Amino acid sequence: MSFLPLLLYLVSGVVYAVSFVRRSPRAGRLATASLAAAALVHTFVIGMRTVEIGHLPFVDTASAISAFVWMLAVAYLYTEVTTDERALGVFIAPLLVGLQTISTLSATVREPAPILDSPLLAAHVLSLLFAYAAFALACVVGVTYVLLFRELKSKQLGFFAARLPSLHAVDAMNGRAVGIGWLFLTAGLAVGVVWVLRLQPDTSDPRVLAMSFSDPKIFMVALVWAVYSFEIYARRVIGWSGRRAAWLSALGFSIVLVNLVPVGYFLTESHNF
Amino acid sequence: MDLLLLGVSHHTAPVDLRERVDFSRRGIVTALRELALRPSPTESVVLTTCNRSEIYVACEDPDRARDDLAGFMSGFHHVPEDELTPHLYARTNGGVAQHLFRVAAGLDSLVVGEPQVFGQVKEAYAAAAGERCTGTLLNKLFPWSFTVGKRVRADTGLGEGAVSVSFAAISLARKIFGDMKGLSVLVAGAGEMAELTATHLRSQQVRRIAVASRTLTRASDLADKVGGVAVDWSAVGDELLRVDVVVTATGASSPILTRPAIEQVMHARRNRPLFVIDIGLPRDVEPDCGELEQVFLYNIDDLRAIVSENLARRREQTTRAEAMVSDAAEEFAAWLRSRGAIPTVVALRRRFEAVRQAELERLEPKLSRFTPEARARVEEITRLLVQKLLLTPTERLKSARDAATAAQDAEAVARLFDLAENGSGPDGSASAASSRAVGAGGAPASRAAGTGGAPEPPAAPKTPVAS
Repeated sequence: MSFLPLLLYLVSGVVYAVSFVRRSPRAGRLATASLAAAALVHTFVIGMRTVEIGHLPFVDTASAISAFVWMLAVAYLYTEVTTDERALGVFIAPLLVGLQTISTLSATVREPAPILDSPLLAAHVLSLLFAYAAFALACVVGVTYVLLFRELKSKQLGFFAARLPSLHAVDAMNGRAVGIGWLFLTAGLAVGVVWVLRLQPDTSDPRVLAMSFSDPKIFMVALVWAVYSFEIYARRVIGWSGRRAAWLSALGFSIVLVNLVPVGYFLTESHNF
Repeated sequence: MDLLLLGVSHHTAPVDLRERVDFSRRGIVTALRELALRPSPTESVVLTTCNRSEIYVACEDPDRARDDLAGFMSGFHHVPEDELTPHLYARTNGGVAQHLFRVAAGLDSLVVGEPQVFGQVKEAYAAAAGERCTGTLLNKLFPWSFTVGKRVRADTGLGEGAVSVSFAAISLARKIFGDMKGLSVLVAGAGEMAELTATHLRSQQVRRIAVASRTLTRASDLADKVGGVAVDWSAVGDELLRVDVVVTATGASSPILTRPAIEQVMHARRNRPLFVIDIGLPRDVEPDCGELEQVFLYNIDDLRAIVSENLARRREQTTRAEAMVSDAAEEFAAWLRSRGAIPTVVALRRRFEAVRQAELERLEPKLSRFTPEARARVEEITRLLVQKLLLTPTERLKSARDAATAAQDAEAVARLFDLAENGSGPDGSASAASSRAVGAGGAPASRAAGTGGAPEPPAAPKTPVAS
C-alpha cells in the first residue's frame, strides 16, 4: 500500500512530461487528475498510518519526508488551480518521485518516544514541512525563470518560451512562495525553540539535550532561514528580483534537501526520533 | 441535398475586386436575408474575412445554385457578372468541408496559421444561425470545422509565434511582462517605424505611451495619433526610470542610449526589467546594453530573425496540419455519404416491414388461436428478426468508402429487393431511393464522383468557375 502513492506520483510525472512536450490540454487535465489521485491516495496512506501508530506520522525522517511530499503535491495542486498554469508540474514531479522513493524505501516502524507527544512539536514539524514545500515550489519556479530568462537574453526563443508563463508571472510566484515559506519557517522555528526550552530542564533524553546550534540539523535550518531572509531583504531593498532571486531560492532549497535527507538520516544527533 | 461553396479569395482575385465583394460593407445579415429570398439555397452562411468572401449553401441542384449565387454576388455588390465570374471558385460536398476546414485551421490564409480567421468563421456561423438560415447540413459542417480548427492549432502549434516584426516585439513584451495593460512605453523618435510600433502598442491597450523627439512638435503629432503624451527630448532620462518598454527609432547617427547611461538607469530602477526595442538604423542603443541584468535588448535584425524562425516552423507544421484536415474532411464526406444512403435504407426497411406484416396477416387464422401474450411474442420475434437481418446492410450502405461505391450499393439493393418497381411506402420513397445515386449528400452518382464526392487534395488549385 505504501508504494501506491509513489507509483501514482510516477504516473503523474510521466503525464506532466507528455503534456509539457506536446502542449496538449487533454494531457494537462489528465496530469492534474493523476496528481490529485496520487495526493488523495497519499492522504489515505498517511491517515491509515496515523490510526496505526496513534499520532501524525512525521516525527521520524522517512515519515517527515513523506509528509513533505504530500504537502508539496497539495501546495502545487493549489497553485495550479488558482493560476491555471500547468507548465510547472513537469519540474515538480521529479522532486515528488525522488523524495517519495527515499521515504518509501527507508520507512521503518518504530515506537514513538513519549516526549514527542506534544502539540507544540506537531505545530513545529507541520510549519517546517509546509515552509519546505513552499521553498520547493519557489525553487522550481526559479529554475523555470532561469530557463526562460536565458532564452530571452540569447534571443533564441524556443522550447521554454513556448511553454512557460511570463518572466514577471514566474518571478511573482517565486516571491510569494518564498514569503509564505519564510513565515512558516520562522513560526515553526520559534515554536520548536519554545518546545525545547520547556523540555530541556526536566529531561535526560540525549536527543533533546543535543538540540543546539552545534547540531548539524539545527545549524543547517538556521542557514536556510538566513538565506531566505536575505532573499526577501534583497528583493525588497536592493532590487534583487528575477534571476538573482531564483538562484537564491535554488541555494536555499538545496540546503533544505541536504538537511532533510543526508543530515536527517546520518548526521543529526538531535532529530533522530 | 448537396453542399455548395462559391467564393472569392486572395488566391483568385486581386485586392481591388476583393474589396468590392466584401460582404461586411453592406452587412452579412443583409446578405443572408437577401439570400433567403433566392430560389436555390435552403441553408446559407456568408463568410467574410480580410481576404475572402464566401457563400456556403445547402441546395438541391448545385449546378443551378452555382449560377444563381454568382448572379447574387454580382447583384449584391454591383459588380458585373462577367468581371466577377472568372475570379470565383466553387466546391461541392466533401470539397466544401475540405475548404472550410482549411480556412478554419488557418491553412488557407495569406499568413498561414493566423488566428483571426477562426473567430470570423465562428461569427459567420453565429450570424447565419441567428437568422435561422442554417439547417441539418450547415449545422453539422460549421461546428465540425471549429473542432478541426481547434485541434489542428492545438496539435501542430500552427498559429504560434509572431510572423511580423511588430507582433514579434509585442509577443516578447508579453513573455517578459505578462499582461500589457499595465505597461508604460517610451517611443524615442517620431518617424514611420516609430509610429507603426507605437500604434501596435496602443492596440494592446498599454497604460501610457510617451513620445520623445528632438523636435517637440513632431513628438506632439505622433502622441496625438497614438493617444500618448509628448515629452521633451531632455526628459528622456527621467522617462527611462518610469517606463517598462523603450522603442527607439530616431535615425540618429550615433547611439542615443549608451551602456553607462543604461547602467545608471537600471541602478536607479532597482533592476526592474526594461525591454528595449531598437528599430533604428543605424542602431540607437549600444549593443552591449543587452548584457546588463534585466535589460532585454532586441534590434530590428533580432526581431526579423524571430519572425523568420516562426514562419519556418509554421511551414514545417503545414504538412501535418493538411493531413489532419484531409482526414477530417474524409470523415465529413463519409457522414454525407451515409446521409445519402438514408432513402435506400428507409425503403429497404419498409420493404421488409411490408413483407413481415403480409406474412402475419396471412397467418392470422392460425395466430388467432394464440393467447395475447403469445401473439405479442410472435410480433416481437418477427420484428427483431427483421431488425437483425437489416443491421449489416444498413451499416454497409452508410459506410461506403466513396460516392461511386455508395451509388453502386444503392442501385444493387434497389434491384435485388425490387424497391423501385414495387415501392413499399405510401410516399413512394423506395422509388426515390433507387433513382438517387448515393453520392456525398445524395448527389447523382455521375456528378458526385467527379465534383467533390471525395475530398480534394490539400493543395488542389482553386479552379475558377469560368475555366
